[in-house]
Order: sequence, then C-alpha cells, then structure tokens
Amino acid sequence: MAEQDPQRRRPSGLLRAVGVSRSFEGLQALTDVDLELARSEVVGLIGPNGAGKTTLVNVLTGFDFPTTGRVELEERDVTRWPPQRRGRAGLARTFQHGHAFKGLTVRENVEVAALGVGASSRDARTRAHRLLGALGLAARADEAASVLPHGDERKLGVARALATEPRFVLMDEPAAGLTEAEVPDLAAVVRSVRDEHGAGVLLIDHNVTLILDVCDRIQVLDQGRTLAEGTPEEIRKNIDVANAYLGGSGRDV
Amino acid sequence: MRRVVSELGAPVILVVATALITGAFSQAHQLEFENALVMTAIVVALYVFIGNSGVISFGHVSFVAVGIYLGGILTVDPQTKTFTMPGLFPYLRHTDIGIVPSLALAAAAGGVYGLAVGLPLMRLSGLPAGIATFAVLGITANVLYYWQKIGPTAQTLSDIPEAGRWTLAVATIITIAAAYGYQRSRFGRMLRATREDPAAARAAGISVYRQRLIAFTLSGALAGLAGGLYVHQLGLIAPDLTYLDLTFVTLAMLVFGGVASLWGAVLGALAISALNSFLGDAENTVHVGFRLTLPTGTRLVTIGAVMALVIILRPSGLTGGREFGWRRR
Repeated sequence: MAEQDPQRRRPSGLLRAVGVSRSFEGLQALTDVDLELARSEVVGLIGPNGAGKTTLVNVLTGFDFPTTGRVELEERDVTRWPPQRRGRAGLARTFQHGHAFKGLTVRENVEVAALGVGASSRDARTRAHRLLGALGLAARADEAASVLPHGDERKLGVARALATEPRFVLMDEPAAGLTEAEVPDLAAVVRSVRDEHGAGVLLIDHNVTLILDVCDRIQVLDQGRTLAEGTPEEIRKNIDVANAYLGGSGRDV
Repeated sequence: MRRVVSELGAPVILVVATALITGAFSQAHQLEFENALVMTAIVVALYVFIGNSGVISFGHVSFVAVGIYLGGILTVDPQTKTFTMPGLFPYLRHTDIGIVPSLALAAAAGGVYGLAVGLPLMRLSGLPAGIATFAVLGITANVLYYWQKIGPTAQTLSDIPEAGRWTLAVATIITIAAAYGYQRSRFGRMLRATREDPAAARAAGISVYRQRLIAFTLSGALAGLAGGLYVHQLGLIAPDLTYLDLTFVTLAMLVFGGVASLWGAVLGALAISALNSFLGDAENTVHVGFRLTLPTGTRLVTIGAVMALVIILRPSGLTGGREFGWRRR
C-alpha cells in the first residue's frame, strides 16, 4: 500500500517458526521444524499430503498451537496469540477451501477484513475499491460472494488478506481447483503481493509448476520434518524430493 | 442513500401504518395492535443478536423481564407499592417516575444484565449457547417468581400507567433505527462476518467474542426497552408473563420473518401477531361470515406448526434473510 508507518518498514522483520513440533494424541504431525519468511520473498512450502503443511500454517497463524517450539513475528514471541491478534499484527492468511463470507457481497467481504484490523469505514471502502480493481473483481463487487466461481473466490481470499495491509501472507493451496489457464493469473497475483504490497508470501500448493515459477526459496516437508530447502533450481535437482514428492515413487503429487 | 431509505424506511412505514390503523378499531382490537407494536420491538431486539451473530439465544426474554419489572414498578404510586409489595427494596418502593424515564432505565438495566450474562456466555456457540441462555431464562423467571424484594412475585400487579399507541410506535421505531444503525456499523458488519465464517473472521483480526458481546449487550438493552413498553402497554405485571410462552412466540416471529434481516424481524413480528390475535379471538368465537370457535390451545399449536413448516419449506424465512428492496443477483 502506498504509505506505511516506520514500524511496517522494520527491516529485520521476519516471520519465524523455531523448533516447532506438534503432536495429536500420539501422532507426530510436525517434528522440530524451522521456517523463516522475510517480507521481500515468496517461499514455497511443499510436500505430500499429510506432510504437515497445513498444520504448520495453522501453528503460524494461531489456529493451532505447537506442542514445543515457538513462533516469532518480527521478533515478538506470538506463540500463544490467538489468530485475531496475529491478524491485527500483520499476519494474514487465505484458506484451502475458500471460506468466503458467503452471505455478504464481494465488496463487503473485503471491507470487513479491513475493519477487522481497525481501518475506518472510509479506509475500508477505499481499500476494497482498489483491491477489487487490481484483482479484476470490480465488476462483481456487489454480487453475493456465494455465487463467485472458484477462481474468483480464490482472488477474493487474497483481496481479503491484503485488505488487512499485512506484512506476511500465508496462502494455503490457492491453486487447488483452478484450471491450468487460471494458474498464470494467480502467479501474477502472488508476485504482486510481494512486489506491490511489500508482504512476504508463504505459498503452499501441489501445483509444482506454480511453485517453481514464483518462489524465491522452497522448503520441503515430509512426515512432519524439513526434508530439503533451497532455490527452485536446487529443489528441482534434489533427488530426495523427487522421490518424496515429484512422484519418483508415485506416492503423491 | 437509496439503500438506507428502502431498508430502514420499509419497516418504519409498516410500524407507522400499524399504529395508524389501530385507531380504526374497537378498544379490544386496539390492544392487540398495540401488542403487535411491542412484539415488534422485542423481536427486533432478539434479531440484533441472533440475526447478526447466527447464535441462538433462548434467554432474551430475561432482558425483557428486567424491563417489565423495573419499568413497571418504578411508575407505580409509592403508597400503592407499600401496600401491595411491602417487601420491596426501598429504592423500588419509594421511586415514582414517568413512563419515558422508566423506559430509559429499563433499557439501561437490560443492557447491564445482557453484559453480565454475555461476559461468561459469549464464549459459547451453537447448542451449548442455546442451552446456557435457556438456563438464564429459567433462573430469571424463578427469581422473579419468588423474590419479594424486586416485584409482586406470584401476585398480579395492576394499575401500572399505560402508554398511548404513539409512544409505543415511536419507541419501536427507535428500536428499529438502533438495530439498523448497528447492523450498518463496523461492529455489525464484523459480527456478520463471524456469522458467515468464524475462522476467516478471526484471520482478519476480528475477535468473535468481543463482537458477540457488543451485540448481546445492545440486544439486551433493546429488549429491556421493549419490556418497558410491554408493561406500559399491558398496564400490569402477571406471573409467568415472561417465560416460555413469550420466548417461544417471539422466536417463532423471528424465524417466520427471516432471522438474518431486520425486515424479516419486523414482518415476522407483525404477521405472527396478526395470526396470534386472530386465533386468540377464534378461541372465543369470531364471525368470519360464520361463527368460528376453535378449541382452546389452537393458537399455540398453529403457531408451532407454522414455525415448523417455515423451517422445513423456507428455512431463511419469509424474507429469505434479505432487507427490503435488496436482491442478490
């Protein structure tokens, strides 16, 4: 967004998971996972189903809490903060299954997200206008969110996240259910979050093309542990990953 | 602006029309029209919380009861009170104020009670919220029935000053305007987001608890005001006036009209009031071209059946949960 207060420009600001473990009644979903996200990057988080990706996102956003380890947001320990407090502190997320406010209009969906972090009604309206325009949803602004096609619903999720003027955005499978033709559009949106909105993006998806295309770094989870980390080129070459993820063993893509 | 005119104007016009045509009827029917205005105020108060939050409350009649008892007792002549309710708290016994100030106090007391109940209860959703609010209703009804320091208990207190139909109409319109102002405010909009999707609302920084508590308190205050209206419409306080019957009828009105819109609350209150009055009359014989006499109890049975039918056939109520003049494309 155009103007930002000094705090928002805090250079050392990172979103970090430090030694995060999470177990559910004996099932170890995450084991000693570290993750770092800066505001200037798009980091991909990949791994087969059940690798712990969504658990990690939930722990980072406050919808779940780690059994051990901690979460830091710009050097503050936010491990026990509820989601709404992290949302107001600059951490936004989108959801795997849309989660639009279906009974509200598209515009109201975006406005209310801005209100949630304390924007005035007037600011909220301005932000919604700008974001819906930028994401190509302006024509649908007054429609009920329940009638949006899948691709637009994903964009609405992004618009809603951006309306909170976040410093970090976690996107949980934004490409799921999109057609191949819609993916480049989404890739452009992801880049614009980093480049135009100055927010770091943690991108979780099964669409390997998208991940390799837009990410600056990629972290691979398998069975709750970090299996590999690196640039897209490195990850592409990584044999372990090919076995675990790209289908060498045919396990899951 | 046009949106405000149609969304707020339509329910207000309906209330004014109800007050206007009241004058054309006989004394007995006037009471029924006045009662319809009061029911509208109660249902709108319910709607502020239930409609915007999507959380059921069976406890709101408790706040209505606070308004009835406080608003009623404070307007009764102290000498009468000393005679009929000697156990009353000194403040309640000695105070004698006008109808309008009593309405303001009724609203304030309803709000305070709403806040006190909401602080622990607003952490709940769904069925637990329904059961806990129902427990509040049971507690309130029993305290009112037995505690001689706060009211006439099992006796009927009559000779409470009565308000004219325009006082009732104006107060009902104020209730509607407050509900509308709230639902268009940032708080109302945030609460509606939590109704649609609590997780996504929290991700956007919205505290579900806080927003529900704000609505519950406002809703309690409006219910208290409506209780004040009710007691000055009836002119009496009778035992069990504010228990299951009123809870059930007002919820039926809200569901019938459509829980999710103010227009639905107003329309449902007036429509079910009309049905309620007609069936009540019919239990004592009415002339509709012929003599119609329905067995006693038909009224509640029919309203229950209507409510069940609406839930099955049109779950979002007569209005589909929409405000007047607004169509989802």
